[in-house]
Amino acid sequence: MSGVKRIDPRRPYCLSPSGLRRIVLGESGGAGFQFGAMARPHKKVKPRRTHEPAKHWHMAIAHSNRGRLDDHAREAVAASAILATPEIGVIAVILGDLHEDIAALGADRIVVIPELDAARFQPQREEAVIQALLDEYQPAQVLMPDNMLGDGDLGRRLIAKHERAAAATHVVELDRQHVSVRWNSGTIFAKSILPRFVLLTPGTVDIELPFVGAGEQTAPPQISSVTEVCRDLGLEPTEMSDIALEEADFIVSAGNGVRNVETIDTLARTLGAAVGASRVAVDEGKLPRDKQIGASGKTVSATTYFAIGISGAVQHLQGIKSCRHVIAINRDAGAPIVKRADLTVIGDAEELMQALITRVEQARNQGEAGEVER
Amino acid sequence: MRDTFTVAALASAGRHPVSGAPRACRADAVAMALGRRIAGDALRVVHAGTAEEQSLQDYLALGAGTIEVLPVDPSTDAAPALADYLRNVDIILTGGNAEFGRGSGLLPYALAEALKRPVIANALDVNVERNADADWSIEIRQFLPKGQRRRIACPLPLVVSVHPRAPVELKYAYARRMSGRIDVAPDQGMVAPLLQPEWSVEIASRRPVRLKAQDGKSAHARMQSAIVSEAKGGVVAFEGTTVDKAQVMLNYLREHRLVDF
Ligand SMILES: Cc1cc2nc3c(=O)[nH]c(=O)nc-3n(C[C@H](O)[C@H](O)[C@H](O)COP(=O)(O)OP(=O)(O)OC[C@H]3O[C@@H](n4cnc5c(N)ncnc54)[C@H](O)[C@@H]3O)c2cc1C
Ligand SMILES: Nc1ncnc2c1ncn2[C@@H]1O[C@H](COP(=O)(O)O)[C@@H](O)[C@H]1O
Repeated sequence: MSGVKRIDPRRPYCLSPSGLRRIVLGESGGAGFQFGAMARPHKKVKPRRTHEPAKHWHMAIAHSNRGRLDDHAREAVAASAILATPEIGVIAVILGDLHEDIAALGADRIVVIPELDAARFQPQREEAVIQALLDEYQPAQVLMPDNMLGDGDLGRRLIAKHERAAAATHVVELDRQHVSVRWNSGTIFAKSILPRFVLLTPGTVDIELPFVGAGEQTAPPQISSVTEVCRDLGLEPTEMSDIALEEADFIVSAGNGVRNVETIDTLARTLGAAVGASRVAVDEGKLPRDKQIGASGKTVSATTYFAIGISGAVQHLQGIKSCRHVIAINRDAGAPIVKRADLTVIGDAEELMQALITRVEQARNQGEAGEVER
Repeated sequence: MRDTFTVAALASAGRHPVSGAPRACRADAVAMALGRRIAGDALRVVHAGTAEEQSLQDYLALGAGTIEVLPVDPSTDAAPALADYLRNVDIILTGGNAEFGRGSGLLPYALAEALKRPVIANALDVNVERNADADWSIEIRQFLPKGQRRRIACPLPLVVSVHPRAPVELKYAYARRMSGRIDVAPDQGMVAPLLQPEWSVEIASRRPVRLKAQDGKSAHARMQSAIVSEAKGGVVAFEGTTVDKAQVMLNYLREHRLVDF
C-alpha cells in the first residue's frame, strides 16, 4: 500500500434543496448527512449577536409583502443589526402581516402591525403609530428601504416631519461612520456622516449574518383612532397580462425552444406572470413584437425571470440585466443562459412547463404551507 | 365655496445624465403637462433658482408660457422659500426626484409639511371635481409597483408629486421657446437654511461597498464562500424526472419568496 490518502468515491453527501449532490469538505458523515436521500442542508446554530440588555435602539421599519419581507426590507433590518454595538438592541417594525421569523436578520424585538399593510393608504395613521414607537424607543438610527411599496413615502413623511436636518435618502453605501448617495443622476458620489434617518437603495447590504437576534414579539402601541384627510378609494383590479413588461414583477419568457405558445400562456396565468419573448420567438410570429425583451426590445426589471428555451445571447441578456432571480429551462447545459441563471433545469421545455403547471396548481389547491426557512 | 382653484407646477433644473446638457427634468415636464390639462393657461410654473438657468428654455418650449423664478441660492434649501411663495396655491404639482443636484425626493414632503397640507406621491392622473359641499375635491390615480394602481380622494389644498409614467403628451415647439417669458419674482429676503448634513463629493468612479457583517468564520468556511461566490452562474439541475425538476423550480420560488403558495 502506498502512503497516498485515498478518497472514498462513495463518501457521504447530502442533496441540496435544489437536488444537487453536495460534498462538504472538512466535515465527515454524521448528522445531516444521508446517502442520497433529500436532506435539508446541514444548518449550524448561529450565536446571538449580543447578550447585553439593550441600552439604546436601532429601528428598522418596513412594509411586509404577503406576510413576508422582500430582500430590500431585509436589508434594512440586517443593516440595523450590523451597525449596532453590543449595548444597542434592534427593533424591527413590520407594517402588515408577518408569517416568518426574522430573528435571523438580527431583530431583537419585533413589532408587527397587521392593519397597516401596504395595500391600504393611511399615511396619518402610519405616522401616528411610528411616532409613538419613536417616542418610546428613541432610536439612535432609523433604517428603511427606499422603495415604492410605501416605505419610501412613509420615510420621507417622517423625515419632513422632524429630521430634515439629519436624513439621507437613496443611500447606496453606509457603515458606522458614513453614508454615500449619488447626485446628479449618479455621476457623483456625495458622502456624509451617518444621519439618524437612512433610506436605503436595494443591494446596499449583505443580508447573510453570522449571528441572530433575540426575536421577541412585542405588542404594537395603542393609539387613538386617526381620521385620514385623504380617502383611499381602493386598488384598481389589474390583469397580469395587461401589465407593461417593464413594470411586471414576474415574467415568463419564451425563446426558440418553445414550440407551443399556449403552454407558456397557461404557465404565465398559473404563476400570475406576464409573458415575454426572445427575438427569435418574435420573428417567428409566436408572440407579438411588443413582447420582445433585449437590446432591440424591452428592458425589464422583474424580480423573477423565467427564460424558457432561450439560449441567452448577449443581446437578450442586456434586457434582463436588473432581474434578480433568473430561472432557465433549456435542453443544452452549455447554453450561455446557464451562466446568468440562478437555477437552470435541463430538459425539454414543453414537458417541464407542463410538469410545473401541474405541480403549481396542486400546491395552490391544497394550500400547502410553503415550509420556508432560511 | 369657490369658483376656481389654482394650480402650480414646479420646474427644477434638469441635466442629461450622460452629456450633462441642460434639459427639462422629465418628471417635472410631465407634472407640468398634467397641470396644463387640469388648469389650462392658468397653470403657474415656478422655479426656485436663477433666471439664467439654461434648462428653463426647455420648459418654455414644452409649453410653460411664463416661468416665475424665485431667487434662491442653489446651495440652500429651496423648500421654505417655495412654501412661502406658493402659500395660496391649491394644487402644487412636483416631480418625484430632481435629476440634477441632490434629487433626494424630499422637497414635496418638506413643502407639504411647511404648508400643513397632505402630500400624495406618484400620481398618474389628477381629476378635480366639485364635491357635494360645492367645494373642490380631487381624485388621484396613484402608481404602485407591480402594475397596481390606487385611487385616492383628497380635499384641496394639497401637494402632488407626479410619476414620470403619467400618460401625458410632451410636445416641443421652438416657437413657444421663443415666445415664452421668464419673470423673476422679487426676492423675499428669506434667509434659507443651509442643507444638512454636510456632504463632500467625489466623482463616482467606483462601485459602492456593500455593508457586510464581520464574522469569525473558519478558514474553511471562508474558502467555501469565496469559491461559491466566484463560481459564476447558479445551480444546474440535470437529474431526476420532470416531476422532480418541477419540484426543484417550485422549491426555488418558495425559498426566495417569489410566490405566495
Ligand atoms: C443587433 C441585434 C439585436 C438583437 N436584439 C435582440 C433582442 O432585443 N432580444 C433578443 O432576444 N434577441 C436579440 N437579438 C438576437 C440574439 O442574438 C439571439 O439570436 C436570440 O436572442 C436568440 O433567441 P433564442 O434564444 O430564443 O433562440 P436560440 O438561439 O435558437 O436558442 C434556443 C434555445 O432553446 C433551447 N431549446 C431548443 N429546443 C428546446 C426544447 N425542446 N426544450 C428546451 N430547450 C430547448 C436550445 O438549447 C437553445 O439554447 C439581436 C441580435 C442582433 C444582431
Ligand atoms: N429648485 C427647485 N425649483 C423648483 N422645483 C424644484 C426645485 N428643486 C426641486 N424641485 C421640485 O421638487 C421635486 C423633487 O425634488 P428633490 O426633492 O430635490 O428630489 C422636483 O422634481 C421638482 O419638481
